[in-house]
Amino acid sequence: MVHRIPLRGTRQRRTIRQKELQYSWRWQLEHWVPIHHRKAWNGDINNRKGQIFKKLIGLDLMVGISISADLPFSGQVLQALHQVQHMLSLARPRFGPRESKKAMLYSDVGRLNCHVTYTTFSTPIRGQGFDNKEYSSMLHKALEGAIILETFPKTTVDIFALVLESGGGDLPVIISCASLAIADAGIMMYDLVSAVSLSCFGKNMVIDPTSEEEACQDGSLMITYMPSRNEVTQFTLTGEWSTAKINEAMELCLDACSKLADILRSCLKENASELTS
Amino acid sequence: MFAGEENIATPGEILGDSSQFIAGKGTYLAPNGRNIHASLTGQRRVVPPPADSAEKRLTVEVVGHKTRGAVPEPGVVVITRVTRVMARMASADIMCVESKAVKEKFTGIIRQQDVRATEIDKVDMYQSFRPGDIVKAEVLSLGDARAYYLSTAKNELGVVSAQSIAGKNSAWKQVF
Repeated sequence: MVHRIPLRGTRQRRTIRQKELQYSWRWQLEHWVPIHHRKAWNGDINNRKGQIFKKLIGLDLMVGISISADLPFSGQVLQALHQVQHMLSLARPRFGPRESKKAMLYSDVGRLNCHVTYTTFSTPIRGQGFDNKEYSSMLHKALEGAIILETFPKTTVDIFALVLESGGGDLPVIISCASLAIADAGIMMYDLVSAVSLSCFGKNMVIDPTSEEEACQDGSLMITYMPSRNEVTQFTLTGEWSTAKINEAMELCLDACSKLADILRSCLKENASELTS
Repeated sequence: MFAGEENIATPGEILGDSSQFIAGKGTYLAPNGRNIHASLTGQRRVVPPPADSAEKRLTVEVVGHKTRGAVPEPGVVVITRVTRVMARMASADIMCVESKAVKEKFTGIIRQQDVRATEIDKVDMYQSFRPGDIVKAEVLSLGDARAYYLSTAKNELGVVSAQSIAGKNSAWKQVF
């Protein structure tokens, strides 16, 4: 019995803290949204009658932050704060490229090694931190087409993504984050990769769904996209869709992806000009 | 140096048209053969062509704001430390690529036939290297899955620092 009391206490504190965060982020959201979707956004997540919801882009990005010098890989650290979803994700390529493992066969091109992990406090109910194998392989597939692997033959680049707070639509944020981290680390790539997911509820569609929305969705779609080359690196579709609806959803996602990429670019530029000046 | 945000390129950004520019370092030519995209984040620079060449186009390049870790490539000179000597080859850890220290360990091997340029079949590996020697070598090739192939078959390459069995440092001239 004794050990339960502090557990309950932490849970309670956690919910309070989340609410506070929610309010502060709402506030920031209002400051962000008018730039992108003033008309589509009516400020109420629960009101989705008949129209397509574009509540995208409440995103704050920072590149090149070192959290602590004694981290095993004090490489490039990147942080993205997804205000809609209370999602915080961290990606860092290790100081690489490094030598491939001995057991691997010789290859003329470089290798990419992705790991997605969750922290113990990433979900509303405190659990054990875990590796997400599925997300790791999806991240790998989404990025391998965007990196110029020929520039580091026989070597490996590691990407570690750490989800600090998960609130739905994790994978797109992880992918966008990782591509930003790679671009910041000075590894050659064809283009930035931006990713957006979409949930469908009957006739309605919601971009960047939260976990509650994901739990009751009828279908979902995720696109990872290289905007300036106009190429899709990965596309996932689940649930029952009509062709017309897929078209509409894809257009929405691609539009959102290009907007997201603009934000990623301006973030990178800001960071680079600070470093050089 | 001027470092405005507008002068900084990010991966994928279109830098120009191939009719006006040549794709230099940190850039690549799109599959359509027209657009030149950046592949790095960093300063965008335009370099005029050399005066005596027929090429009139400018070269556009991107100089990265952060450099990635050094990686051995065929043809570059590396500084290595010998870890193991065998009858036909010696294995060595690469410590520096040209003047840059590597952040991660890379292994290389020097085969018997690559130790010197002449009389290659008479080389005695045990007389040439001892574990702990610092060797200047050239990367011959990417080698196999395990190691890079190194060569010391040039006048300026070979052991640059070594310790005698007594533990005294010997200058490089005495080694030769």
